[in-house]
Amino acid sequence: MPENQENTSNKTFKQRKTFAVRKEEVEGIRQKFPNKVPVIVERFHKETTLPVLDKTKFLVPQELTMSQFLTIIRNRMSLNSNQSFYLILNNKSISSMSSTIAEVYRDEKDDDGFLYMTYASQEMFGSSN
Amino acid sequence: MITTQAKYNAKTAKMNLSTFTYESGPLEYEDFPLTAEPVYILGEVHSALHDRDDLKNDIKSRIWITYRRNFQNIGGTGPSSDQGWGCMLRCGQMMLAQGLVLRHLGRGWRWRPHVTDDTYWKILKMFEDKKMATYSIHQIASMGEAEGKAIGQWFGPNTIAQVLKRISVYDDWSGIAIHVALDNVVIIDDILNLCKPSQKEQSKSGLANENIEDIPEEELSKFVNDGPQESKPSCTQWKPLLLIIPLRLGLTDINPIYFESLKKCFKLKQSVGIIGGKPNHAHWFIGFVDKELIYLDPHTTQNVVDLEDRHASDATYHCTTPASRMSFSKLDPSIALGFYCGTERDFDEWCLAFTVQDKSCRPMFEIRKDAPKAWPSEETVPIKQTKESRGFSLSDFMLYDGSTGSGVDDEEFEII
Repeated sequence: MPENQENTSNKTFKQRKTFAVRKEEVEGIRQKFPNKVPVIVERFHKETTLPVLDKTKFLVPQELTMSQFLTIIRNRMSLNSNQSFYLILNNKSISSMSSTIAEVYRDEKDDDGFLYMTYASQEMFGSSN
Repeated sequence: MITTQAKYNAKTAKMNLSTFTYESGPLEYEDFPLTAEPVYILGEVHSALHDRDDLKNDIKSRIWITYRRNFQNIGGTGPSSDQGWGCMLRCGQMMLAQGLVLRHLGRGWRWRPHVTDDTYWKILKMFEDKKMATYSIHQIASMGEAEGKAIGQWFGPNTIAQVLKRISVYDDWSGIAIHVALDNVVIIDDILNLCKPSQKEQSKSGLANENIEDIPEEELSKFVNDGPQESKPSCTQWKPLLLIIPLRLGLTDINPIYFESLKKCFKLKQSVGIIGGKPNHAHWFIGFVDKELIYLDPHTTQNVVDLEDRHASDATYHCTTPASRMSFSKLDPSIALGFYCGTERDFDEWCLAFTVQDKSCRPMFEIRKDAPKAWPSEETVPIKQTKESRGFSLSDFMLYDGSTGSGVDDEEFEII
């Protein structure tokens, strides 16, 4: 299966780095930027429609709303407004786009201190032969 | 296709040979459980114990649209059957058809065999498998190209929503407005702009400063007299709204925290169901009982029917076997909620239903008055901060920190 041939870039951020390294990274960067939230944004492994972002790690101003953050990511991918694009956090969708990143961080951050988001469009329905 | 069906078809050959085939079996024709739990169907509640006939009659009255074969080739040389690819398109048709039933006939309308109701037939014919029919598989598949889908490609819930939105502008008879709310937000101003366009027109024609409601109809028509009288919306008129909200409620599996919220949708009178499915199999969900969703399934391939034919029967557009059921936990996370608001009041009530805090229901989307403010253009940010961000990069940070050093970690933080 493809897993055996996977190179580093196909691994998730968590798979690439140990918990200790990630935790250390967050602690350092939080010290340097106490007003910014460290966020990891990764593509859902089954996603085929949306492009891969060139960046995974973001430092986001804490007052930025989820809606603003979503728009920034949408723009980076040059998606048109009809295309579906979802940020999923801990298998939940974002129910309040007016929440700030800081609020979401408080509720959903990982034990390592990062806020993890996975992006995906929608599944297509049909049956193969 | 043939191989996957062979097993089931062999078993049911006698029954199905000439009329239809199933894509994947076995199908369960299990009747409704004898339960005291209420059964919700598109905003109405039934009892499976006391009014089973009403329940079945309600479901049977919904327009059931399935795979068909032997229709005119799509685009002249394209497929003549949508078996295997059209299931989400069919579910979109069913949900829209329900919206049109509410628009033209009302929720209380019931179907019976050999019904001759002209309005009903007019609705049904819009979904006929013919190029000229407004909402035909031909129109949908062809319009899909505008959404980047070649004819015969699979659709998702948002794809069909976007396509129906494009097509609905040609449906003068229904005059409905389809709004597709993406990004988990319903913006009230967007909907008012869409459903009360007359307000905008009036203000453009210089009537804005006068109280339009005080002007007698005849007077008003002098100002706005450039079309047929009946199609001219009055200033207070509301264009009937079909609101579609495409969502993703999890990655691989749906998160169970949303089950109660989904149930709530089916309890509202505005509900026209939910389109979604099990992985790869699209269904039109029309309600629930206890822990199970109730749905109509397009995965039956029937022969095309010419509805223009005087002797045509519409029997294949109604599902007379008990509706299928499945556990909420089997629902694919990609769905689209559908609501029909025939009046502004319906819409206000709908907003209220989702604004009221309900602890048991985890919100699936947000309702806002106006569009969220944009973050100051991020284009300029990297340029402005180029100098700074060099100092802030992770590799440097790690270097300062005495960690493994910049050479090991090539991933830097993007500063927004």
